[in-house]
Amino acid sequence: MSGGRLRSRSTVVVSLLVPFVLIAITMAVGANGTPSLQGTVTTILCNLIIVLGLQVFIGNSGVYSFGQLGFASAGAYAAALLTLPAAFAALQTPGLPGPIASAQLGPLLSTLIAAVACGVLATVVGLPLMRTSTLAIPISTFAFLIVLYNVLANWDAVSGGSSGLVSIPRTTSVESAGLWAAAAVVVALAFKWSARGYRLQATREDEVAARSLGIGVTRERLIAFALSGTLCGIGGALAVHQSGVLEPSTFYFAATVTTVTMLVLGGARSVFGAVLGAIAVASVNEVLRGVEDGAHLFGVLSVGETTGLAAIGVGLILLATMVALPDGLSGGREAGELAWIRRLGAVRPAPTPVAGDAAEIEKVEGAGSGVLRAEGISLAFGGLRVLRGVDLTLPRGEALGLIGPNGAGKTTLVNILSGFLAADGGTVRLDGADVSGRSPSYLARAGLGRTFQAALPFPHLSGLESVAVGAMGVGVGRREAVAVASEVLSRLGMREQAARPAGSLPPGSQRLLGVARALATRPRYLLLDEPAAGLSEVESEELVAVLRGVLEDFGCGLLLIEHEMSVVMSLCPQVQVLDDGVTLRIGSPAQVQADPAVIEAYLGSSYLAPTSA
Amino acid sequence: MTELAQNLIDALALGSLYALIALGVTVIYTVMGMMNFAHGEFIMLAAYALYVLAGLPFAAAVGGAVVTGVAIAVLAERIAFRPVRKADLSAQLVTSLAVATILQNVVTAAVDARPQSVSTPAFVSESTELGAISVSNLEFLTLGLTAIVLAGLGWVLYRTRAGLSMRAAAENFEMARLLGVQADRVIALSFAISGALAAAVGVLLVMQTGQVSPTMGLTPVLVGFVAVVIGGFGRMFGAALGGLLLGAVSSLLGAYLPDGLLPFRDAFVFSLPVAILIFKPQGLLGAATGEARV
Repeated sequence: MSGGRLRSRSTVVVSLLVPFVLIAITMAVGANGTPSLQGTVTTILCNLIIVLGLQVFIGNSGVYSFGQLGFASAGAYAAALLTLPAAFAALQTPGLPGPIASAQLGPLLSTLIAAVACGVLATVVGLPLMRTSTLAIPISTFAFLIVLYNVLANWDAVSGGSSGLVSIPRTTSVESAGLWAAAAVVVALAFKWSARGYRLQATREDEVAARSLGIGVTRERLIAFALSGTLCGIGGALAVHQSGVLEPSTFYFAATVTTVTMLVLGGARSVFGAVLGAIAVASVNEVLRGVEDGAHLFGVLSVGETTGLAAIGVGLILLATMVALPDGLSGGREAGELAWIRRLGAVRPAPTPVAGDAAEIEKVEGAGSGVLRAEGISLAFGGLRVLRGVDLTLPRGEALGLIGPNGAGKTTLVNILSGFLAADGGTVRLDGADVSGRSPSYLARAGLGRTFQAALPFPHLSGLESVAVGAMGVGVGRREAVAVASEVLSRLGMREQAARPAGSLPPGSQRLLGVARALATRPRYLLLDEPAAGLSEVESEELVAVLRGVLEDFGCGLLLIEHEMSVVMSLCPQVQVLDDGVTLRIGSPAQVQADPAVIEAYLGSSYLAPTSA
Repeated sequence: MTELAQNLIDALALGSLYALIALGVTVIYTVMGMMNFAHGEFIMLAAYALYVLAGLPFAAAVGGAVVTGVAIAVLAERIAFRPVRKADLSAQLVTSLAVATILQNVVTAAVDARPQSVSTPAFVSESTELGAISVSNLEFLTLGLTAIVLAGLGWVLYRTRAGLSMRAAAENFEMARLLGVQADRVIALSFAISGALAAAVGVLLVMQTGQVSPTMGLTPVLVGFVAVVIGGFGRMFGAALGGLLLGAVSSLLGAYLPDGLLPFRDAFVFSLPVAILIFKPQGLLGAATGEARV
């Protein structure tokens, strides 16, 4: 029956065992461990929550933020100030508003308030920062960390200044940290496997392709940034209630490097990896701290007291991971997706999607009516006029071929129609509505799908996930998106490829997956940019059959840029020829192929008028 | 009026220092697309060369600092950055973060976590009176050095064969490679230049503060990054302009902020890029390669 599951039930169950194992361990440590062991485990758990916060943003978006420890710091300060005994508050933070200074809340309430406050702070900080580029985000978030440090270190009356706060109630037990950490694992997994999580992961895999599926990159990043800030705030709040002391430098540069190392060593894409990495790095750290205090390693090597060794160890782990193990210990997989766990037989592969049982893809309503119309489109790059007043009409349910020599402006026109470029002049109307200058994601949600000359796969997502993201991108819920994706893959004869990572598929399949992905957005108009490029003759013929099926089954208008004339001839009753930024001819394939002007454009004038010499 | 002139001179001097930092960061970014977190540690290590060579004449110690800066930069490239050259920019950024952490803590372990003082020649703290304005020799030195570096870098980039190779690599790395530009050599050269610039900044910082510490590179590297963001990614002299702007703003805030807000100067300075990015997500001058890949 399961025509639509992104992973088998057993994969999910095994992955969700992780939080229960965490709880079991902490209960055991709480009951039998020495106070020092309990302290160590609690510290690891608090760090783990922060690392899970990093995973939610960095792991799913692929964009590094070096500012998340700022939210841990903010959460720690919020929790500390809300719980400080009034007498100590009066001494250390005389400028604190009365209600906060005398609040003296309990551990749970203060942690919850800190979490909400950090979520709000992250939203406010993220609003401008998430609009910037993938490279500017690490830098501007780092700037945020330094700004916050500067404020905390100098706002003496409220934060206690650079000497920090002491006498904070120490209420975090190993059991409570374990429960919070387990909850954080569940939240991170739930986010990763939600429609929102998938949309964000698609932007990580390929930002351009994600936008073509209706995904608003800034918006998805902002939501994850806020959730990440909330988790980091909880981690900070619990940590300060364990140590009882807090300085502006507690969650600063060194802590940033340590937690990023934990995330990267475990494998940033994986929640399970965050758990592995946090434990591994903390263990190494613990050993090196012992050496720093002047320990005798294995009874032979004696080392004097040296600070900095633990941090050198962290740095070396990070460096070695980046160079030798970029996917981390987990390989980017969740516990239930690991190969050795599968071999144990605990996990069955996800069922291959089956056609028919899923919701029928209804032809988009009103198929056959409506038209995508471009009028007078022009665009110049500097002095180069790429398009000079091009008109194009694509009725729904019909196929139009767009051909022309290299540099004629075909791809530029498609980029304008799909919102990736803004035209200098002219209008684009989608079923009568003026959509000129709209963003790619807006247009995708309005019913305009496209593919690219390159396949632009989502390498780490499975075939099924890649196509389901298409439906999620235009706002379809996860369950229905999977049904749509199963259906599309079945129609395209791609069921076998559904379970494999898209990055491991052969080029022809990746290209077809690109078409499937665009179809899953249920487009009313589909723009295909050289879908047959690089395909073998057999694959080309299969593609033609698939596209003919698309025309019949989905009823969308099809614009086909293609150099392979056999593909154009067999699909498109109408062909438009572009040359040097203007429309040269519109007619049937036979007409345009016999047209002297078209031949001249393709082959040069000498072909038509050979010199007699 | 004099006060304004004085503040402007100070602003120009700090802006020059920041421009030197920004150039060191951007020369790597432009050629190989990597934001180098460890640049701050190149600065720090060059400064520590002055501390270690304190017994030598100051000029010789400065020479040692430059050699240190260049050597560390070239070594870091060879050992750490070359293996991740083909990785995406996030991976490169994190790798450089690892290098920064290692270098910072090696110094902590070998010397001390606490700042160490370094004596500098007396002439550094002397100043010249120009009418009512006083310009310290350090400011003269900073301004002069920046002018020389800018001119020198311009000469190397636009008048030498090596510079042509660097610009070609910056334009299109793979194509430059196909046309015979030796990638390893160009990148090594960029790191050498970056290391030398870091050394210059390290020496100037020691002259300014009279001390060295393992974490002294943290703020400079952020200055460099932010300057690159403001100036537009991949624009060599845009970054210098960004640095100049950032330093000038910082200096003027120092002069004109009310006393109560003075401790929060850095908070204001580093909020500046955010303010700029809100209105210009691609930086003041726009990124050098901003076209969407479609």
